[in-house]
Amino acid sequence: MITEEPRADPKKVTELANNLETELSRLIVGQKELLRDTVIALIAGGHILLEGVPGLGKTMLVRSLGQALDLSFSRIQFTPDLMPADIVGTNIIREDSGRREFEYQPGPIFAGLVLADEVNRATPKTQSALLEAMQERTVTVGTETRALPVPFFVLATQNPIELEGTYPLPEAQLDRFFFKVLVPFPSESELLEIARRTTGDKQPELHAVGDAGALVAAQHVAREVPIAEHVLRYAARLIMATHPNRTELDSVRRYVRYGASPRGLQTLVLAGKVRALLEGRYNVAFDDLAAVARPALRHRVFLQFEAEADGVATDQIIDEILEHVKKES
Amino acid sequence: MSSLEAVVQALRRSDTRSRALPYLIHAALGATIWVTAVLLAARVVPVETRFQLAELGIPVMLAAVGIAWIAQRPRPHVLMQLADLRLGLQERLSTAWERRAERGVMDDLLRQDALQHAQRDRLTQAFPLRINRKEAGVLAILAAAALTLAVLPNPMDQVLAQRQADRASQAKAASAISAVQKKIAASPKAAPVDPKVLKILSDAQQKITQAQDPRQALQAISPAEQQLQQLSDPQTPARTSTAQNLANALSATAAGNAAGQALNSSPSSGAQALRDLASQLQSLSPQERAQLANALAGAAQHAQDPAMAASLQSASAALSNGDVAAAAGALTDLAGQLDSLQGQQSNDQAIASAINGLEAARQGLAAQANSDAAGASSASASGGSSPTAAASAGNGNGTGNGSGNGNGGSGGTNGNGSSGSGSGAGSAAKPGERLYVPGQPVPGQVVNDPTPLGPGQDVPLTPYTQVVQAYQQAALDATNQSLIPGSERDLVRQYFSNLGESSP
Repeated sequence: MITEEPRADPKKVTELANNLETELSRLIVGQKELLRDTVIALIAGGHILLEGVPGLGKTMLVRSLGQALDLSFSRIQFTPDLMPADIVGTNIIREDSGRREFEYQPGPIFAGLVLADEVNRATPKTQSALLEAMQERTVTVGTETRALPVPFFVLATQNPIELEGTYPLPEAQLDRFFFKVLVPFPSESELLEIARRTTGDKQPELHAVGDAGALVAAQHVAREVPIAEHVLRYAARLIMATHPNRTELDSVRRYVRYGASPRGLQTLVLAGKVRALLEGRYNVAFDDLAAVARPALRHRVFLQFEAEADGVATDQIIDEILEHVKKES
Repeated sequence: MSSLEAVVQALRRSDTRSRALPYLIHAALGATIWVTAVLLAARVVPVETRFQLAELGIPVMLAAVGIAWIAQRPRPHVLMQLADLRLGLQERLSTAWERRAERGVMDDLLRQDALQHAQRDRLTQAFPLRINRKEAGVLAILAAAALTLAVLPNPMDQVLAQRQADRASQAKAASAISAVQKKIAASPKAAPVDPKVLKILSDAQQKITQAQDPRQALQAISPAEQQLQQLSDPQTPARTSTAQNLANALSATAAGNAAGQALNSSPSSGAQALRDLASQLQSLSPQERAQLANALAGAAQHAQDPAMAASLQSASAALSNGDVAAAAGALTDLAGQLDSLQGQQSNDQAIASAINGLEAARQGLAAQANSDAAGASSASASGGSSPTAAASAGNGNGTGNGSGNGNGGSGGTNGNGSSGSGSGAGSAAKPGERLYVPGQPVPGQVVNDPTPLGPGQDVPLTPYTQVVQAYQQAALDATNQSLIPGSERDLVRQYFSNLGESSP
């Protein structure tokens, strides 16, 4: 059997991830889970949907990531009047030596890190332009298709409170996000620390701990992490258990409308591999899958109205699935 | 051998130890259940080899559990997975084992990491020795129960002892018959014994050996005796009597004195002496011939066998007429008849020996059958008024008319009695009916009038069960002392045995 050698030392990937987390935590107070999930998605090459109220440091997170990885950064504020061309760019007429010709003006999506702020405020047409670019990693303007920079990482946010005048992302679009991360409100001690860090004379400056090349190499290494057959079967059983017609769990049968897609399994396994590396391991463990199950599945499991009426959240369903699915082969 | 294989071996050893104890307890529990079940069953059904049967379960259970233990030995990847889960190794060992043949930087790192963690942890902790307390408790309780059952007296022991005694008596009876058989076969006889005698004995011995109990064995004896008696010639007593009369008559004559004495000795000697006398007739004086003729005529008159009487008559007549040759011929015929008598007597002796042997066997078997019946009687009596006993209680009390005829025995050296036959009929008492017999006279009491019999009459009555044994003993004593054929004795014994079985 021919195996492809990893493009970088796995230990260096672990080191890069740890350094990245450490560097980000210098600026971001608390939010360890957010940082860990962000790093995992970044190394896995996936995009993140952040859900949280404004002012929790989402923009700062993306900006800090750009600084720590020496990547280009752009922020797009999604509004109802935002047009697809405002994201992907457009052809403008340019006069050069008396000749007029169309010249492509790249949109803000041409950056290593893109923050799509309040993505649910834009119209579905504009949303789909972003989401298509996220999936294909290319944009097509006119007849010309242009590749997005590598790496390309989108961090979209949505506000769970102000739902008036919003266009909720459809299920098919949600599936394209690698993780959906909930940004919790900081604790009192974290609030105090935020106040101390941001209202003083000096702002902490971040240092680059890696670059685009290191990140791409890390993405390749992460995919090489082996996963045992029985662990892989466990991941598949987790996905199966989210489907109401394929599970024995009463809560899933009662509250779940649709279960996770095969893309959910891919996310689960890939995120598990990255987490294993971050933990300094060279194999995927059951714990890795369990740790990434919530962000990987919470936007892929769709609940019925009855769940909302009973106050049942998706995370509760996922926790119950994790509790009941057997780990033995 | 790679280090991962060493880990597998270490885990295998640890797992083997860990699983051995529970499996051993499984085996012990299975064996104890078996032993308890056998001992319990042996208290309901008589099982002679109950301890051997109980012991048999132990190796069987050990072997069965041992096979299961070996068959359910986990495979290496399962061992690795279990070790991962139990030692918290985060699936390092199982992944490394699964990819043990792969080569690459990541796999090398994985193997190193897995082995490093495997060395750090004590692999034996993955498979600790554990005892299922509930199972161990059940085992202890069952073991105590089995021990108690083994120590407590078994009610079936009495039945088993009776069975052994039955078998011993049957074996003894068969042995007695075998001894007679050998004796008959080995004893020198002037004439060969009828092979049917030995065949009858052999058949009887086989039936006795195969019989389920002494009573059934007894049933084989009477037919054998009857068959033997049928082999004996009914004319033998008459011929013997005739020969004896002839011997007496010849002894009184000068010429026939030697022949008479020889005839007294045995028929074959007598036959030879008569042949000698026939050859010496020419040399006898007329007086001696006349005396001999008279003696022969007298013997002929008292002869009970017609053929011998005719020969004696013709010899006497020929001598009286002076026809020596005819007389010699008649005497020679008579000698031949005596030779034939000798053969018949030898055969009868063998038959008598055989019957004696059968009688000896009968006595042993009858004693055991009586003992069994007495045991059954006491057992049913101790059963008291249980519904089953009451339902099956019924005593035969009937009047029977029997008629018998038989030929009287003849005297002489070898006496034989012929069999008689009889029949009787009676009506059995209804189940549960109480039966009474007249009270026994008190010693010293003068019994003038016959005591009337029957319930409701003003007579002293004794319960039946108190007197039946005395009656049985008296009846058996009477049959033993009198010349009653064995088959008739069996009827008496069987009658009392049936009474004993059905007594309330």
